[in-house]
Amino acid sequence: MTKKDKKPFNESLAEWKLFVYNPTTGEFLGRTAKSWGLILLFYLVFYGFLAALFTFTMWVMLQTLNDEVPKYRDQIPSPGLMVFPKPFTALEYTISMSDSGSYKAYIEDLTNFLRPYDLEEQKNLTVCPDGVLFEQKGPDYHACQFPVHLLEECSGVQDPDFGYSQGKPCILVKMNRIIGLKPEGEPRIMCVAKDESAAILSTYPHDGVVDLKYFPYYGKKLHVGYLQPVVAVQPVFNSNSTKKETTVECKIDGSPNLKNQDDRDKFLGRVVFKVTVNA
Amino acid sequence: MGKKTPKIYSVELSGTKDIEKKDQGDGKEKYRGLKSNGLECKKNHQKEELKKEVDLDDHKLNNKELENKYGTDIVTGLSSARAAELLARDGDNSLSPPKETPEIIKFLKQMVGGFSILLWIGAVLCWIAYGIQYSNDKSSSLDNVYLGSVLALVVILTGCFAYYQEAKSTNIMASFSKMIPKQALVIRDAEKKIIPAEQLVVGDIVEIKGGDQIPADIRLLSTQGCRVDNSSLTGESEPQSRSCDFTHENPLETKNIAFYSTTCLEGTATGMVINTGDRTIIGQIASLASGVGNEKTPIAIEIEHFVHIVAGVAVSIGILFFIIAVSMKYHVLDSIIFFIGIIVANVPEGLLATVTVALSLTAKRMAKKNCLVKNLEAVETLGSTSIICSDKTGTLTQNRMTVAHLWFDNQIFMADTSEEHSNQMFDQSSGTWASLSRIITLCNRAEFKPGQENVPIMKRVVVGDASETALLKFSEVILGDVMEIRKRNRKVAEIPFNSTNKFQLSIHETDDASDKRFLLVMKGAPERVLEKCRTIMINGQEQPLDKNTADAFHTAYMELGGLGERVLGFCHLYLPADEFPETYSFDIDTMNFPTSNFCFVGLLSMIDPPRSTVPDAVTKCRSAGIKVIMITGDHPITAKAIAKSVGIISANSETVEDIAKRLNIALEQVNKWDAKAAVVTGMELKDMSPEQLDELIANHSEIVFARTSPQQKLIIVESCQRQDAVVAVTGDGVNDSPALKKADIGIAMGIAGSDAAKNAADMVLLDDNFASIVTGVEEGRLIFDNLKKTIAYTLTKNIAELCPFLIYITVGLPLPIGTITILFIDLGTDIIPSIALAYEKAESDIMNRKPRHKKKDRLVNKPLALYSYLHIGLMQSLGAFVVYFAIYAQEGFTPNSLINLRVEWEKDSINDLEDNYGQEWTRYQRKYLEWTGYTAFFTGIMIQQLADLLIRKTRRNSIFQQGLFRNKVIWVGLVSQIIIALILSYGLGSVTALNFTMLRPQYWFVAVPYAILIWVYDEIRKLFIRLYPGSWWDKNMYY
Repeated sequence: MTKKDKKPFNESLAEWKLFVYNPTTGEFLGRTAKSWGLILLFYLVFYGFLAALFTFTMWVMLQTLNDEVPKYRDQIPSPGLMVFPKPFTALEYTISMSDSGSYKAYIEDLTNFLRPYDLEEQKNLTVCPDGVLFEQKGPDYHACQFPVHLLEECSGVQDPDFGYSQGKPCILVKMNRIIGLKPEGEPRIMCVAKDESAAILSTYPHDGVVDLKYFPYYGKKLHVGYLQPVVAVQPVFNSNSTKKETTVECKIDGSPNLKNQDDRDKFLGRVVFKVTVNA
Repeated sequence: MGKKTPKIYSVELSGTKDIEKKDQGDGKEKYRGLKSNGLECKKNHQKEELKKEVDLDDHKLNNKELENKYGTDIVTGLSSARAAELLARDGDNSLSPPKETPEIIKFLKQMVGGFSILLWIGAVLCWIAYGIQYSNDKSSSLDNVYLGSVLALVVILTGCFAYYQEAKSTNIMASFSKMIPKQALVIRDAEKKIIPAEQLVVGDIVEIKGGDQIPADIRLLSTQGCRVDNSSLTGESEPQSRSCDFTHENPLETKNIAFYSTTCLEGTATGMVINTGDRTIIGQIASLASGVGNEKTPIAIEIEHFVHIVAGVAVSIGILFFIIAVSMKYHVLDSIIFFIGIIVANVPEGLLATVTVALSLTAKRMAKKNCLVKNLEAVETLGSTSIICSDKTGTLTQNRMTVAHLWFDNQIFMADTSEEHSNQMFDQSSGTWASLSRIITLCNRAEFKPGQENVPIMKRVVVGDASETALLKFSEVILGDVMEIRKRNRKVAEIPFNSTNKFQLSIHETDDASDKRFLLVMKGAPERVLEKCRTIMINGQEQPLDKNTADAFHTAYMELGGLGERVLGFCHLYLPADEFPETYSFDIDTMNFPTSNFCFVGLLSMIDPPRSTVPDAVTKCRSAGIKVIMITGDHPITAKAIAKSVGIISANSETVEDIAKRLNIALEQVNKWDAKAAVVTGMELKDMSPEQLDELIANHSEIVFARTSPQQKLIIVESCQRQDAVVAVTGDGVNDSPALKKADIGIAMGIAGSDAAKNAADMVLLDDNFASIVTGVEEGRLIFDNLKKTIAYTLTKNIAELCPFLIYITVGLPLPIGTITILFIDLGTDIIPSIALAYEKAESDIMNRKPRHKKKDRLVNKPLALYSYLHIGLMQSLGAFVVYFAIYAQEGFTPNSLINLRVEWEKDSINDLEDNYGQEWTRYQRKYLEWTGYTAFFTGIMIQQLADLLIRKTRRNSIFQQGLFRNKVIWVGLVSQIIIALILSYGLGSVTALNFTMLRPQYWFVAVPYAILIWVYDEIRKLFIRLYPGSWWDKNMYY
């Protein structure tokens, strides 16, 4: 290296120039035009072949798939729990009663989300027997009705603002859809406010019951019109307390095969979120 | 050594004039480099210093002055107290070992060398990234800290490993420097004491006897028949006599100084220590050697080149994608993480450690074959060697005078000169031989040291000089117990050899009871002996010495002398019983017996014969395209004769002198370049400009340098190196050490070699066998080829590790393979296979091709990089991606849904991400799937690396030609790869930090078609290379 370093700048520049284009041999970047042509042709053919091969193997791989059900579902044995609408900041709802802009988007989201739950919309759906799994053999799969009035205060029927304007925002808690999941027992979503004195939680449907008739789920393609069971939580803040803020912890309860405790997965069968209401 | 005193044995016939001239200039010339200017060498000041130091004048002083100068007493010696004082002042009387780099520096060098610096940067960036994250969000994950720590750990571990390997190979050498402690007999406090030689100080009076090593530079005060062997200093194998007389201005040539580390062969002497330790002449030459810069080994240059390429690629891709990422509106922090990922993916973390292991494996293998490698990197150097400069004495020859030819009855007989001396085939029935053998036996003062009856004759220790030893052993082999014969033929008088007589004479009673006559036997310089003869013995009969027989004698003498052999004449005379009755008292001072009119019996010639393995080794070097040059301090005639007999000058090539002689024209008229061979003396070399020397070396394929000094050896080596040759120098003497150091690889002799030579060398031949060099060349070439394979193997998967990152950044797929997983490939599954490639046998006869060109045949060349990166590497990436896509698709995320999913996928707050089937995934479930993807990608790469390993077994041949099972270690590698992967997936699948999950068995086979493709493709590549050598395909696809 030291020897190279000592090479005068002009010389190395000339060497570079010669490398870029060598007029005597007609070499451009160390190769003649013919050589470049050959090498480019080679790579064109070679990569063309590889691309074709890759496409073919991918095609073969995709043939192993089923349109309706994924081949394996081992990675999601138990559903996660999630809230709706999606908070602007991670799992924190901060609304201000006086500022409709702070919750307008939530209301819109909720309205859109609950539109399929509208009675009109689900009149084609089956009325399923309560409390038992609604197992079907196909080839047509039916979805059960989830009448929106089950959400009572939070159904948006009486209060199109879902309580946001009054400082008692409705938040939906839903269980992740998993194809073929059959909960045992009597699953319900149980929510607790960490600070009981600050807010009282109302849960709809009553006790946060998740009816078994909504299970099992048969997948997006087969189970057309499937309505995911939801539970609404509405914190009603104590008007005396100055700080209208509470942390709500929800978890699936009453079903032995739905996990709600996992060290690594903080959303497996549970969810924690925070609601802050400013005046 | 003074003027070279011609002994009886020194006989040079052809070109006598030339040699005589040289003989006179000899002493001066040999030290030319020491005394005269060191123009040639860059280290001028050092030589100046040397020059100054040599100007000692102790040899000119008389005893009184010496006593005053050193404050000592010749009779009583120093007092112990004074000696201790001086010892404290001057230090030990031992050569200080060459300066070692401190261990900590060596260690740190390993820590920052190669790719380490890149990984350090990566680690630090990781920590910085975490720092920034932490300052923004106290709960940010510790992933970056882990990654940084893992990177640092990787660097430290590989560094420690490389250091350990280095240290292990240096430790073997350490045993060498620990020599058997030497003793010296010293007079202190008027008492004789034996003390360790290290404790000698200037002014000490020491006594030396035959067989001792001179313990320091000594001014001799009294001597009795003292002769020393200066060969380790000058390369001259003839013994030099020593006396207390001041004979020459130059301290190096005067007879009254004996030098440290030379050996006293016979006689006794008392002397005063005038220099100790590093201040001795030997010490100064040794320090000259340490002043010569150590060149970077070719393999070190190659590895550096390779590191530059890979680091260049890594950093430029890293920066390119950093810019792309930033312009794609990624956070700078994320972009930095990408940058780290790209670097980690691009850098073959385990490779340098692998290279070290491969080199040390070869070193071990060579050590078994008696080639001890001091410097690990030197293992390969021999493989790229294009010129070997070999010392003659001790390396090419046995360093032992041996009877080579006999002439009697007008015939030349050949004696067996092999190491064993087993069968002497010449005709021993003639009566002349009986007489000749008797003279050889009786006219000889050498004796076996007692107590060696069970030692093979050739290995017995003899007291006496080289020629007499040769004669003694020769007669012992043929006649049996020589000492007994001598006892039966009692010696009654003797004139020992002296330089004016040039003969040796003794008178014996004979063991023939019926014959009471005395037998006078004589040997000496043939012409001197012949002068004294009147008759000659033919077939046991005395005949008058006429012109014809005299001519026959001269022809034989010329012929033997022309072979570079030392010729001796032998004659005898039975003294008439009437004149010399049994009671006759011979007086050697008055010479009361005949000194002429003898009967000439025969000639006998001796040479230091070449080792029997050398000619074959030289031929092998030749066919391997290596030029062998002989550099010796010996006479040109001897040098040329040996060169011819070992093949350094091949039978049909001529020197300029030979051509002139054949064509009968003057030297000047011969076209210099017609001669293939050249014999150049130190005198001629002195007058040459460096350009002329370069020209000489470039234009002659067979060169012998004779009468050269240590400096000239250095000049020759430098000239070879100017021609881009990789030069190996072999040598044993101290005088070789500067050249050994200067050479790309210095090879010292383990048995005959001096410490200085061993210290300066990179490799030591434990059995002094030149043929071991051939082994070294072979191993060196093999390891170079195998390192190519190892590197190609290792580089390939880097693309498969890099592509995921690039796709991740640009297309937004969930990350296919994580940094930690990459490290598990680089430092886990890939390590044993890449070492296994070091065990691969050669593809073709590597000894039949030319040595690689230092600047053209690189370890990592363009085809290698392109083929590994853009062909096999790309196929691997595709194969691994198929596995990755299969995993995601079969779990619910089809390939098209993955595109641009990255942001949502990685958001911690999204815990209901919907897949193609309407299922929803929490963040952790996605993460787990991502790890399964890592594992899948990992196995994809691993499976294809199996194929990659198999194809890398050969570069040109089909692997079936190479043999699938010849290298068993490859299979160990293959199995280890699978086992490690299985352990990672199934054994450690539950350890979250490692990001491995248990994989369904079928996913292990998804990449198999690609593995087969890789193998088929490479077989096709090799097939075309074999079918169309030199074609476009060959040029672009052969690495």
